[in-house]
Amino acid sequence: MGRRRGGPPRGARPAKSKPCVFCKENISYVDYKDYNMLRRFTSDRGKVRARRVTGLCPQHQREAATAIKRAREMALLPYVVGR
Amino acid sequence: MLIVIPELDEEQVENTLGRIRTIIERTGGKVGDVNHWGRRKLAYEIDHRADGFYVVMDFTAGERTLVELKRILRVSDDVLRHMVVKLPPSYAHRPLPEPAEAAG
Repeated sequence: MGRRRGGPPRGARPAKSKPCVFCKENISYVDYKDYNMLRRFTSDRGKVRARRVTGLCPQHQREAATAIKRAREMALLPYVVGR
Repeated sequence: MLIVIPELDEEQVENTLGRIRTIIERTGGKVGDVNHWGRRKLAYEIDHRADGFYVVMDFTAGERTLVELKRILRVSDDVLRHMVVKLPPSYAHRPLPEPAEAAG
């Protein structure tokens, strides 16, 4: 009992405030043609990664999601990986 | 952006693009950059085809351009898939890193 020492409470992640990568590079339009860049925001199954994983701001997360969907339509990105 | 079927040769692709160009110009649009990505593997099969010829075209549209263009693109058998996207005014031509030289 009472073995736990100080530090952040169990389960809590240390607070991090990483700025959104698009904001940082001042990109206003997320291009669907740049599928290699978009690949960073999809999981290895081809799903769109959640914002808490991508670290994007709301606007850019939304734009990135739209861009991924456009890229999928044009067969630049897969809808499903490994089936 | 459009995907042309891979069975065509360069000349036939040019013909298809020429047709599209005429439509755009006839309806009061202007064709800007035409970017051939070339033959590329598709991320998934479309009509049992594993690859296609990608072309990205920049153009301005007149009043009737989009209606006409979409109708033609839909019915032409050479075009596997197409998409017309309105670009934001701030869109700058930034060359894509690694300009899609994937195997056919």
